Amino acid sequence: MSLLALATLGGAIGLDATSVGQFMVSRPLVVGVIVGWAVGQPALGAAVGAILEIYLLVSFPTGGSRFPEGATATVVAVGSCAGLDGPGTLAMAVAVGLVWGQLGGWSITWLRRANTRLTADWGGDAPRPARLARIHLTAVGLDFLRGVAVTGVGLLVCGGLVRAVATSWPLDTGHTFGLLLVGATVSLGILLHDFGGFRQHRLRLVLGLALGLLGARFL
Amino acid sequence: MTRGLSRGSVVATFVRSFLIQGSWNYRTMIGTGFGWAMVPGLRRIFRDRPEAFREALVRHTEHFNAHPYLSSVALGATLRLEADGADPETVHRFKTAVRGPLGGLGDSLVWATFLPAVSMAALAVYWLGLPGPAAAVFFLVLYNIGHVGLRAWGFRAGLETGREVGGRLAAAHLVHWTRRLRKSSVVVLGGVMGVLLGGEGGLGDAGLGWVALAAAGFVLGLFVGHHVWRPAAVAVVSVIAVLATWGVIR
Repeated sequence: MSLLALATLGGAIGLDATSVGQFMVSRPLVVGVIVGWAVGQPALGAAVGAILEIYLLVSFPTGGSRFPEGATATVVAVGSCAGLDGPGTLAMAVAVGLVWGQLGGWSITWLRRANTRLTADWGGDAPRPARLARIHLTAVGLDFLRGVAVTGVGLLVCGGLVRAVATSWPLDTGHTFGLLLVGATVSLGILLHDFGGFRQHRLRLVLGLALGLLGARFL
Repeated sequence: MTRGLSRGSVVATFVRSFLIQGSWNYRTMIGTGFGWAMVPGLRRIFRDRPEAFREALVRHTEHFNAHPYLSSVALGATLRLEADGADPETVHRFKTAVRGPLGGLGDSLVWATFLPAVSMAALAVYWLGLPGPAAAVFFLVLYNIGHVGLRAWGFRAGLETGREVGGRLAAAHLVHWTRRLRKSSVVVLGGVMGVLLGGEGGLGDAGLGWVALAAAGFVLGLFVGHHVWRPAAVAVVSVIAVLATWGVIR
C-alpha cells in the first residue's frame, strides 16, 4: 500500500476519534487490524494494535484535554513495519506509536485553535445556515487533512528508522514482549485507580485474575 | 411526532448529532456543531418566520459543551422546547443547566468506564487466541450497541420530555449503572492481567524478572494514577531507543 493511501487512511480513521461519529474505529486495536491487513502484516498489526490499546486504555477523547492520538499513531506504527517481522519490529512499532501519539495530540490542539479562528468571525451576528454548514464541514475537512499530514510525515520519518534498526534488535521475542508489557501494566494500574482502587475491588480483581489464568491455561 | 416537527427533520437532527464535535474549538466548544445539528429541526419549526429562525440559530451556536453521546439528550430536549415555543431565556437557562451534568455523567459512564471495559474484554479474547479481526469486530459491535443505543435513547428522551428530561435521566439510574459497570470492569481488568500473565508467549513465559517489573508498574499506576502515564511511556520508549542503538553499534 502506498504512503499516500496509508496517509489518507490515517486521515479518514483519525476523523472518528473526535469529529465524526466516535464509533471507536479509531482505537488502536481496530486500526492495527485494518492497517495490518492493508500492508499484508495482519498478525503484527493486531499485536501492535493490542499492545498500544493497553497503553491507551486510559487515554480518553474528553473535551478540551490533550490526549495521545491513537488512530494516526497506530497507522504510522503498523505502516512503518510493512515487509518486516520479528521482535525488533514489534518493539519499534510500539515505540513509534507512543511517540507519534503525542505528536498527534499536539496537532489536535493546533486544529482546535484553527477552529477557534474559523468560528470566531461571525461574533454575535446571525450565521446563515449555509455559512454555518460551510464552517462546520471545513473544520471536519481540516481534521482530515491534519490526520493525513500527521500520518504521512510519520510514515516518512519512522518507516526508514524502523527498517534501519529492527533487524539488529538485541532482545528475543519473550524479553521484548516483557518490556512492552511492563509499560502497559502501568495503564492497567491507572485504570484500577480510576475505578476506585485496590482496597475497594480486591476480591473482584482476584476473581478476574483467577478467571484470566484459568482461561489462558485451558482455552 | 412532536408538534411542529416532521419525522425527516428529527431524523436529520439525530444523524447530524454524530458530527456535533466536528468544529470543536476553544470559543464555543461544541456550540457550533450543536447549532449545525439543530438546523433541520429549526428550519421546520420556523419555516414561516425567517427572522425567528436566524435568531434561534444565534442562540444555538453559542458556547455549549457536553459529552458528545449525551449531547443528544440536550439536542432532543432543546428541539422540543423550540417546537413548543419556549421563550429564548428558558432555552438558554435549560442548556446552561444541563451541559455540566451531561458532560460529567458522559465522561464517567462512557470514557472512564464503558470504553475501557469493552476494550479490555476485546483484549482478553484476543490474548486468549481469538484472531485480531474477530476481536476488533467483537469490540466494535459490543461498543456501538451501547454507543448508538445511548445516543438514540438520549435523543428520544429529550424530544419526548423537553425541559423535564432530568427526571427521565434520573429514572434511568445512569450513575447507579456506571457504578455497577465499574465493578464488573474490575473483573475484566483482572482477567486481562491473568491472560497476559498466563497466556502463551505472555509475561509468564518472559521470565520472573519481567513479571516483577510488570507488577511494579501496575502498583505504580495504581497509587500514582494518571500522572505516571507519560513518564512510564517515555521510559519504555527510552529503553527501546537505547536497546535499538546498542543493537546497531554492537
